[in-house]
Amino acid sequence: MIRFLWKGILRDRSRSFLPIIIISIGVALTVLLSAYMQGAMTDMVDQNARFETGHMKVMTKAFAANQSQLPNDLALLEVSDLLQQLEKDFPMVDWVKRIRFGGLIDVPDQEGNTRGQGPAIGMAFDLLNPQSEEVKRLQIEKSIVSGHLPKTVKEALVGHDFAEKLNLKIGEEITYFGTTMNGSMTFQNFKISGTIRFGAAALDRGAMVVDIQAAQKMLDMQDGAGELLGFLKTGVYHHEQAAKISQAFNDKYKNDPDEFAPEMYPLKAQNNLADLLDYADMMAGILVFIFVLAMSVVLWNTGLLGGLRRYKEFGIRLALGESKPHIYWMLILEAVIIGFIGSIFGTIIGLAGAYYMQIYGIDISDYTKNSTMLMPSVIRAKITPIIFFIGFIPGVLAMVLGTMLSGIGIYKRETARLFNELI
Amino acid sequence: MKTETIISLENVTKRFPVGEGEFTALDHINLTFTKGEFSGLVGPSGSGKTTLLNIIGSLDVPTEGKATVIGHDIASLSHKASAKLRNHHIGFIFQVFNLLPVYTVFENVEFPLLLQNKTASERKKAVMEALDWIGLADYAKKKPNKLSGGEGQRVAIARAMVKRPEILIADEPTANLDAANAHSILKMMKKLNRELGTTFIFSTHDEKVMTYLERIIHLRDGKVELDERIKNKNQAS
Repeated sequence: MIRFLWKGILRDRSRSFLPIIIISIGVALTVLLSAYMQGAMTDMVDQNARFETGHMKVMTKAFAANQSQLPNDLALLEVSDLLQQLEKDFPMVDWVKRIRFGGLIDVPDQEGNTRGQGPAIGMAFDLLNPQSEEVKRLQIEKSIVSGHLPKTVKEALVGHDFAEKLNLKIGEEITYFGTTMNGSMTFQNFKISGTIRFGAAALDRGAMVVDIQAAQKMLDMQDGAGELLGFLKTGVYHHEQAAKISQAFNDKYKNDPDEFAPEMYPLKAQNNLADLLDYADMMAGILVFIFVLAMSVVLWNTGLLGGLRRYKEFGIRLALGESKPHIYWMLILEAVIIGFIGSIFGTIIGLAGAYYMQIYGIDISDYTKNSTMLMPSVIRAKITPIIFFIGFIPGVLAMVLGTMLSGIGIYKRETARLFNELI
Repeated sequence: MKTETIISLENVTKRFPVGEGEFTALDHINLTFTKGEFSGLVGPSGSGKTTLLNIIGSLDVPTEGKATVIGHDIASLSHKASAKLRNHHIGFIFQVFNLLPVYTVFENVEFPLLLQNKTASERKKAVMEALDWIGLADYAKKKPNKLSGGEGQRVAIARAMVKRPEILIADEPTANLDAANAHSILKMMKKLNRELGTTFIFSTHDEKVMTYLERIIHLRDGKVELDERIKNKNQAS
């Protein structure tokens, strides 16, 4: 019977052509938008992980409570011991030190007077250690617009837009004004080794990147760090694993009343990312639902028209002894086959679009230039294994729903009228 | 063999609602058909021919009375059971041949056997045999739109006969055929009636058909006006 249906679908183009076109369009849009949302979310999570949250982050309890203020006076100390312990307990994780700091950049003129000033968001990474993965992880070399990576603790990278605003040149000296972790003032001169653009407005506005040793010295944080970030060695965030590691770590300190005791947070528990990711999942669900609904209504209509066109065929089949439920279920089976064909075409088209969007993306920098949220300025689609299948849900479901609705008419057919209808 | 009752109609009445009243299409019909009969219902439009064929073909149920077809009380059958009865025991031939246009001759004839879940080899054997009966074995791969009217009606006969039904119901089967094709079709039906013992029941106005019938039941206003067994010149064809 399947072969019989299959032949009908292949030979009767008006039975299959229009539904396949409708499904292909709907599935292609579903695939494209899903890949785009997946890309946007993955990029956002990835960027947050790389720059701010890690897959897990260790801070003092007090630092965690006031995190938005970057309270380096509450930073972790004796981090070498803590790092050793973490590497021993969780060898599947790569641990790194980070310091973030705020301050003022002063640009002197030739006579040493202030030529320009601006607030800076400082970031200290392990840049000079050849064993460190930080340069690669943060894609710093790729993000450098001009100049080069700092080669000494006396060099710094500054945000490209920031440099343009202050009219900075490579090789010029700048002075950082800020406070140490003990609350005293600190001044430090740096030579501009290059300008950088991370592709996230929140980072690029006033970025200043220095080596972690320079920051430790400048901020009086010997063997200290604001945060320790952990990255799973697989390179991919896995929430269950991160949550398990965090739980195991936190269990050790749960009875420690010291506000400087360390505490670990998985990525999803930071920056409201859990809500954001849940929201993204919900949006993806709503998107698929809307496509299923819209396509079902169109296919219902198409099914009704098809039902009129095939009115005689169903009459013949009833006369030949096919029962109404059998015809109905055969129509649904036919819908599944057509749904699959349309979904395959739609997925191919959607994947082609998603691939293009994965390479080129959409530049949203104009919209994010004032954003304080860490999000990429070019949103790219991301093709993941699920993208290959996601279109089949609305594709097959919509076709089946449309057919189920339109096929109900078969049950209303009166066999007693067949002799009159089949003339 | 010829005396075995295959259809029994006892006081069969069929009424249809018309506006606020009723129209009586069949009025206390009492008839029996024996196995292998070659009979026809004749009468003017509105006399009840099609309604009677509907009941015999388990496409409709009587309002009153009892219709028994191959041992089944038609009124007591579920939709599924009456579909099964049609599929296994009753063949239909219409005025136009009503073949499924996207399928080949072979596939059209094969369709009733697909519904019976016969194996591919059983189906192939039965279909080729049926096409042999009608002399169109070479047309197996043709589509219905490549057939003439006469050929199409012969394929419709093969489709109705491939399952070797006990009863074949034909509604004006020659209405759209020229005289030569009509005689050819009727001779073929007569031959199948004789060789397979199938009971043929026609509804017709066509004089040519009447010359082949062994029994003619005249209907008028839903009643049997005359039930005559006749000796026709073409009966031995």
